Amino acid sequence: MSQAMIRVQAVTKSYRRGGETLVVLDKLNLQMEEGRFYALMGPSGSGKTTLLNLIGGLDQPDAGELYVSGENLSDLSKGELANWRAANVGFVFQGFNLIPVLSAFENVELPLKLTPLSRKERREHAEHALKLVGLEDRMHHRPKQLSGGQEQRVAIARAVASDPKVILADEPTGDLDRKSAEQVLELLVRLNREFKKTILMVTHDPHAAAHAQSIVHLDKGQLGSIVDNQPMALGPK
Amino acid sequence: MASMKLVWRNLMRHPLRSVLTILSLTVAIFLICGLRTLITTLNAGVANADNRRLAVMSSTGLFVELPMKYQAQIDRLDAVEQTTKFQWFGGYYRSPKNFFAQFAIDPATLFSMYPECQVPPEQQQTFLKNRVSCIVGKGLAADYGWKVGDTVPIIGALHPHPENKAWEFYVAGVYRSDAPNFDNRTLFFHWDYYEKTLESGGVTPGVGVFSIRVKPGTDVPQVIADVENLFKDSEQLVSCETEAEFQRQFVTMFGNIPLFVGWIGGGVVLAILLACVNTMLMSMREQTTDIGILKSIGFSDRSMFGLLIAQSLFLCTLGGALGLLLARGTQPMVSNWFAATFPGYAITNGTYLFASAVTLGLGIAAGVMPAMQARRLRCVDALRGMD
Ligand SMILES: Nc1ncnc2c1ncn2[C@@H]1O[C@H](COP(=O)(O)OP(=O)(O)OP(=O)(O)O)[C@@H](O)[C@H]1O
Ligand SMILES: [Mg+2]
Repeated sequence: MSQAMIRVQAVTKSYRRGGETLVVLDKLNLQMEEGRFYALMGPSGSGKTTLLNLIGGLDQPDAGELYVSGENLSDLSKGELANWRAANVGFVFQGFNLIPVLSAFENVELPLKLTPLSRKERREHAEHALKLVGLEDRMHHRPKQLSGGQEQRVAIARAVASDPKVILADEPTGDLDRKSAEQVLELLVRLNREFKKTILMVTHDPHAAAHAQSIVHLDKGQLGSIVDNQPMALGPK
Repeated sequence: MASMKLVWRNLMRHPLRSVLTILSLTVAIFLICGLRTLITTLNAGVANADNRRLAVMSSTGLFVELPMKYQAQIDRLDAVEQTTKFQWFGGYYRSPKNFFAQFAIDPATLFSMYPECQVPPEQQQTFLKNRVSCIVGKGLAADYGWKVGDTVPIIGALHPHPENKAWEFYVAGVYRSDAPNFDNRTLFFHWDYYEKTLESGGVTPGVGVFSIRVKPGTDVPQVIADVENLFKDSEQLVSCETEAEFQRQFVTMFGNIPLFVGWIGGGVVLAILLACVNTMLMSMREQTTDIGILKSIGFSDRSMFGLLIAQSLFLCTLGGALGLLLARGTQPMVSNWFAATFPGYAITNGTYLFASAVTLGLGIAAGVMPAMQARRLRCVDALRGMD
């Protein structure tokens, strides 16, 4: 039996806007196992991005605890959280993802700059990650010179460059055409299968969600069902 | 800090904007050097003034002449060790644009009263012996290519020669002075020659300034009062001042120049600061999403502060360094332009330091606001495109 890689305990998160308080997550409980690929679905405004940001340590809950990769995030200071993120999670966002003034290679190398790796090792790791996403020949291109799908694959390469256990992807295929989306999804599946990454992917697209092993439904700050997918659509294991 | 590469690439996002900012900094720092040098040059004369030397002139103004006979009366005062006199000649060499100071002086006392005026002994002897001779400052000699033995015609614009021709002076020597209160671009000639020549045309010369050296240990304010009292019932009232005070008055003859120059300098700094702050804030806005991404990757708040401060410092130090180089490179030229009216223009090390400090200060001041924004920016907000 796998360990819980992500444990969300009675997490509440609300935003104040004007005079009103909007409760986005209400005492949410959720557990995700190590090495599994989860899709997080739900209507717009249901709090998917909010939850993802909390799990990734980009934001703090109002109440409740988050255990991710063995760490209780509320124990960490802001600075420690930044270090923890660098070592433990990789993010892939929907739109803006890459630093426009840096090449694909330099973007992928960024998280490695926070590690004690030497220049040469950084170079090897970054090249390796780019090879993994099939873009070693685009290393020196700037994001503007890449297609949307390629950009997203560079973002994935960057997310895995420092070899984190968890990958958090917020609608990574939201802006992509079918073919590019498929490449990105296959890549995520591969990272999950070959490299045992725990993946949490927000998506609105049922077809995309079908690539995951489990689908988590979120609605109005409450957890709906967690459905395990049949491995049918995924091809041979 | 994230990386020097990121600093540089962000500046190169808008190369024209960066270049313009750098150039405006260059001009500003160049101006700061120039303005401060005006002040230090003016003050150098005051600071180096001999505190045993006093100047006596008409209380009406520097350009009103005093009777020659006053010198003997001053000499009779107990506290006075020695006196000498200066008369502004106000001529030019060949063309009015070749303007420099010329004075009719007492050769016998000039050198003992002004040891800062150094002339090789044999040249000094020639000068003392030859009444139509002159000595010229080494800067002046270099400007016009004059050598010992030349004869220099000077048109007496203020004091025309009675025979309606140029005054001719034989160059007996070239003096040099290392003291900022005694410049290297003046021509000194014999009072005697001046007096006799004017008298032959029926003109009685007057004296612009008597210079006094008091005996050591003298009560200077008392001597000043005595000298002024001496002539309180005469045709011309005099005012007597220490050399420092005299220099200072010379400095402030056209109003309080140092203060005025200080205000201009302050204005230049403020204007350039606002321009740099504006550039940096614009640049911060463009990088908002990037900063969100970098923070999500795990870069610390502090390193984002550094990223912005580094950009600001880079712009400012580059612009400032170019300004310093420009000031240094153009110094001989500027010094030449000012040679006649404003001798001794030289940028001091203090001014280079001051301008460097201003540069650094600008870099920090312009960067600190955007850098604080970068540090405070919450990456969830940045990634949602809010700020
Ligand atoms: N910083 C904020 N300030 C105020 N309200 C916010 C803030 N961030 C999110 N919200 C609100 O919280 C709710 C949940 O937002 P969230 O982005 O988590 O939803 P989501 O499920 O990701 O939606 P979508 O599918 O459209 O991306 C929304 O109503 C949103 O307007
Ligand atoms: Mg969302």
